Amino acid sequence: MNFKGTLPTLILEALHHEPSHGYRIAQSIKERSQGVLDFKEGTLYPALHKLENEGMVESYDGSEKTRPRRYYRITKSGRKMLTRDRAEWRAHSQAVTAILGEA
Amino acid sequence: MIELENWLTQATRHLSRDSAAQVRGEIQEHFDSAREEAIVGGATSDEADRSALVALGDAKAANRLYRQVLLTSAEARMLRDGNREAHPVCSRPWLKWLIFAVFPVALVVAAGLIFSGRGSAGRDVLTGAIGICPLAAALLLPIRTPAWGRVFRIVKWVALVGALMLIYGPETFQWSWLLISCLWPLAWTEWIRARIRRKLPVASWPRHLYL
Repeated sequence: MNFKGTLPTLILEALHHEPSHGYRIAQSIKERSQGVLDFKEGTLYPALHKLENEGMVESYDGSEKTRPRRYYRITKSGRKMLTRDRAEWRAHSQAVTAILGEA
Repeated sequence: MIELENWLTQATRHLSRDSAAQVRGEIQEHFDSAREEAIVGGATSDEADRSALVALGDAKAANRLYRQVLLTSAEARMLRDGNREAHPVCSRPWLKWLIFAVFPVALVVAAGLIFSGRGSAGRDVLTGAIGICPLAAALLLPIRTPAWGRVFRIVKWVALVGALMLIYGPETFQWSWLLISCLWPLAWTEWIRARIRRKLPVASWPRHLYL
């Protein structure tokens, strides 16, 4: 499914509860959408770097099962953006549902 | 693995050395995790390699996205060498003060020439003073926030274009081809710096990125 433009919001949502590394973020999005949002994983990192440049997430070095990992965590500005995006999405989806009708 | 190496070569094309190393590290890490999980799920080594690579998607598309957020080699070079023109001035305090003194001296001389009836010469001196003003200001003004940097850049371009319009007067448009060919390296530098500003957090901006 094409979900261009919403990947940053989905990444912020995946990081909302705990810091995570790239691979786990990708799997979390796929699993929570039950495979509907099946995106190319090579596009995940540019989106993560963009969020990092904008100060929405920050990265740090960690490890998982002795393997070094780059972890990402959401910042205060990231949380604010996520709240705003959720509200926008809710309004948008209600408007589309009102036009198309409930399935 | 050759296929992954090809993917990485395409995905890191035109990126700076540091950016390319970062991409290689994160993609290798991602690939290893995907491969490991596929093997745990019962795939053979070859199948695991293939599925991990397919999951990464198109390397050229990834490269386009990476170039929008990470420094390219041209941008990294500019970041490294961008302040080169200021070094000879900043390393010689007398030269710095000389440049700073040029503007008020030129203003006084221009006013003197205009009041003594030599308006044309006075206008030329005034134009030179306006042209040199951004150079002196860049060295001495405490521009340390993005907002002040933006104001300075607007003033700099207005002063530069204004000075050229004063020099050429009504013939500015007739000579526009010459002005554009002279100014395009400056405009290009400005464009690359704008791209670097979008990619680097403000905390790691060197001084010349503000100007």
